[in-house]
Formats: sequence, structure tokens, C-alpha cells
Amino acid sequence: MTQSDIREELRNAPIEPLLPIEKKLIGWSLSIGLVLLVGLALLNHFVPATF
Amino acid sequence: MSDTTLNVIPARRADAVTAPINEDWLAVVLGLAIFVLALAALVHVDLIGWVVTTSVWSNLGQALRTTSKDFSSLGGVGALVATYVALLVVLSGTAVALKSNVTRFALAFTAVFWIAYASWVIGNFAHFAASTPAEQQKFGISWSLKLTNEGGYIFALVAGLIIANFFPRFAEAIRDAIRPELYIKVAIVILGGVFAVTAAGKLGFASSLILRGVAAIVEAYLIYWAVVYFVARKWFGFSREWAAPLASGISICGVSAAIAVGGAIRARPVVPVLVSSLVVIFAVVEVLILPFIAQAFLSHEPLVAGAWMGLAVKTDGAAVAAGGITESLILAKNAAEGVNYQPGWILGTAATIKVFIDIFIGIWAFILGYIWTNHINVTPDREKAKAKEIWQRFPKFIIGFLVTFVVGLYLALGTPADIAKNVPAAIGEANTFRVIFFILTFFSIGVLSNFKTLWQEGFGKLAAVYLISLFGFVVWVGLLISWIFFGGITPPLAS
Repeated sequence: MTQSDIREELRNAPIEPLLPIEKKLIGWSLSIGLVLLVGLALLNHFVPATF
Repeated sequence: MSDTTLNVIPARRADAVTAPINEDWLAVVLGLAIFVLALAALVHVDLIGWVVTTSVWSNLGQALRTTSKDFSSLGGVGALVATYVALLVVLSGTAVALKSNVTRFALAFTAVFWIAYASWVIGNFAHFAASTPAEQQKFGISWSLKLTNEGGYIFALVAGLIIANFFPRFAEAIRDAIRPELYIKVAIVILGGVFAVTAAGKLGFASSLILRGVAAIVEAYLIYWAVVYFVARKWFGFSREWAAPLASGISICGVSAAIAVGGAIRARPVVPVLVSSLVVIFAVVEVLILPFIAQAFLSHEPLVAGAWMGLAVKTDGAAVAAGGITESLILAKNAAEGVNYQPGWILGTAATIKVFIDIFIGIWAFILGYIWTNHINVTPDREKAKAKEIWQRFPKFIIGFLVTFVVGLYLALGTPADIAKNVPAAIGEANTFRVIFFILTFFSIGVLSNFKTLWQEGFGKLAAVYLISLFGFVVWVGLLISWIFFGGITPPLAS
């Protein structure tokens, strides 16, 4: 693939709408991530790191 | 597409196709070999004390010396030549194992080693490196840039950048020895042992670092990735084939993640290669900026700064090395204020965070591969993702890091006192090699970063996603999370 091929591809690529499975992936990732982070932050609060 | 732009990966990919062993395993072998040789000092056999080390200098003749006084008769230049020859022989062996052209590698490595080490020596000049009033007084100088000796990494990086951007033909000529991933992985394997010595005295904190490592994993894989993927797809209109490796490169671990995910979703090879080029260039920008921001604003929160480097700077090499520079800058600033923290904790925190993130690359790539091959690109001729790919994509150098960490911890805590007391010095000799591999990494990253070529090829849209995601989101969320989990914790004071 040449340089101009890639450039053209990036410039003219048709829009691919987000599929339901992608929306699920994004939504579940963010939701689980935020819940886990809050849980870990609470754990961190109650079990603080010490030297 | 020009070779210059894509010089991050081609050598690796060619190796990967035909070589019986890959860079990951070679890094484990090399790192463990150095570690074991260093441990011979525990039984009073000094096998690597001849390796060169550099001190801050105002008189060039006093810049270099051997790591161990047992070899001081070699002199500084002798130690440098011995180090070069040893690395040339060993790394040429890796070139054989990777089925590269050994002659070409040896010639290229010669140039890489001498230019990189010369940059490091220049970076140790007192006017650049002296970091405290006491040091300035010692060298009889009235001013210094206060970059510390680890500012030498910046000099190596800049030397590489100059070559990449002003002497592209020379950059191409030495490409065989431009292997930042190999160099940093060897360094990380050695770093496991170094960090064990640091952690041995403070096991309580070392274990609580694990909790914080889990937070880093959650952040990188579940928060960063989802947001960057959404930005790339929705705001910039990238196809799925481009967006997944791009999101992985920006959010997880740069080059390794982009390649792993690109392979898992069956993207064309050119996609992760281009993303990797971007990753390296932005990592350079981060290394040049973030440690100094950390020094300016986080000098009283040293571990927040270390964790921030591990979370925000992409690619293993740049992240861990940025941790090293940050440590040096912050320790120097605190020392100037009369507070002397024990070294090793900021770098150790950055490295541990990075290693934790790396561990899950294979699993994440498999999850995406499963979704892509079963739900998105479902065609009869397309090979489905298989569970064995998790192991195939697992970064093996992490095994080396864990081995040296566990062995180092055992030696420091589980052996009789007369042996345990020699452990820091023995592993300290291995650490000198770790520094040299860091220098080679920095220089190599610089040589791979041809800003001009990348710009000419018109990949502004890719760069825009990277820029917005990295500096508009990843860096600041990384700082927030680092603050939540590491705020208020300071390293022990040096005794």
C-alpha cells in the first residue's frame, strides 16, 4: 500500500456507524471501569498505603 | 509509504516471521543473565564490576569509571571500551537469534552505542546536571540547568531526534541496531531486582502498590480505551479497523498494544504500524514535557508523579524512563530543600504501574478479537480469535521482571545477614547495565521519531485523535487517578 493510498483511504473512508455491539462494548467498559474505580478508591480510603 | 515513517516495526515483523525466538524472550534471557552475573558478587566473585558508569563532571577526565573499585585499573575509558565490546558481542548474539544481518547490526550498534553514550556523558556535565547548591559548590560552578545526571537521557533522546530529522539517511543506516523495545525490556527485567532491593525494607507499601496497580489496569483498559475508541469513531469518523488499534495505542501501552490488538482484530499490518509511529512520536513529546511538569507541581507528591508517568506516558520504554527522569528531578528538588527521599520509589512506582498494565494486553486483545471475529467482521473465511492467542500476545519480559523481583526479595529478606548485606551492591552492578539500556532506549526512540516525514504524509487526522485524547483526557485523568491512589504518600527518607 503506498503513501497516497493510505492518505486517500483516511480522507475518503466512508463513515461506519457505531454498531450495537460497539455501543455495548463502550458502555459496559465505562460502566464496569467506573464502578471498579469507585470500589478501589473506597478500599484505598479504608486501607491506606503505609510505609 | 516511505520506509522512514514505518521504521518502528518492519525489522521486528521480519524477525517475528522467521526467527526461532522473539525479542521478548531474548530480553528475558539477557536481563536474567546480567542479573545472575551480578549476583556472583554475593560470593565475592565480581563478574561485571568492569562495566562503565558516569559521574557528574566538570573535568571530562573524571567522568567515567568502573562500577567496582576491583576493576579500577581499567580506567574510565577502558571500562567504556570493555562495556562496548561486551554489549557488541552479546547483542550481536541476539541479532543472530533474530536472524538479522550480524555485520550490519554490529556496525549499526557501534554507531548507536558511541553516540548514545557520548550524549549521556555530555548530559552529565556539571553545568547541565549538578542539581543542588552543594553540588555546584563542589564543582566550582555558579549556575546549572539542574537536569540531574538522568537528564542525560534527554540528551540521548535529542541526539536521536537530530539524527532522525536532519540526517534521515544515517538514521536509516543504523536502523538494524535501533531496537528500543529490546533494550527497554532488558532494562525492565533488571529493574525487577533493583526494585526488590528498594521494596525489601518496606514490604507493606510494596504490597499496597498492588491495589493501586489494579486501579491502573481498570483505568487504562476500561476507561481510557472506551473513551478514545468513541472519540476516534464518533468524532473523527475512523473505521473500526483504525479505531481499535489507535485506541489501544493511546490508552494501554503504545506500540505493544497497538500491534496486539491490530493482530487480534485481523487489521491490515499497515494499521498498527502507522499507529506505532504515532505512539513513539507522542511518547517523545511526553518525555520531554511531563517530567518537568511533575517536578514543578508534584515535587511534594513524589509517588503521584511516578504513577502519573506510568499511566500517562505510552510505550514501556518512554514510561519507565520518564519515571527515572522524574525521580531524579524530584529527588534533586527536594534535596535542595533539605528533604532527602530514598531513591528507587518513584521509578519503581512508574515501572510497576506499567508492568501491571502490560500483563493484560493479551487478554484485552483476545476480548476484542473475539468480539470482532464473532460479531463485527463475521465472514466464513475469517479466522476466529483463539484463547491460545492470550499467551502468544503476553509480554514475556514481565516474567523476567517477576523472577528478578522475587529472587531479589528473597535474597534481601530470606538469606543470612552476611549475604543479605551484599545484595544491594550486587544488584547495583546490574543496575549500571539497566542505565545503559535506558540510554540505548532513549536514543533509539529519538531515531524513530521523524516528525517531518510523518507530517508530510498527511496523517494529521490520526495525530489529531492522538493529541486530543492524550493531552485532553488521558494525561489529566491519569493525574487524577494517581492523586486519588497515591496522594499524601511519600517515599521513606534516605538514611
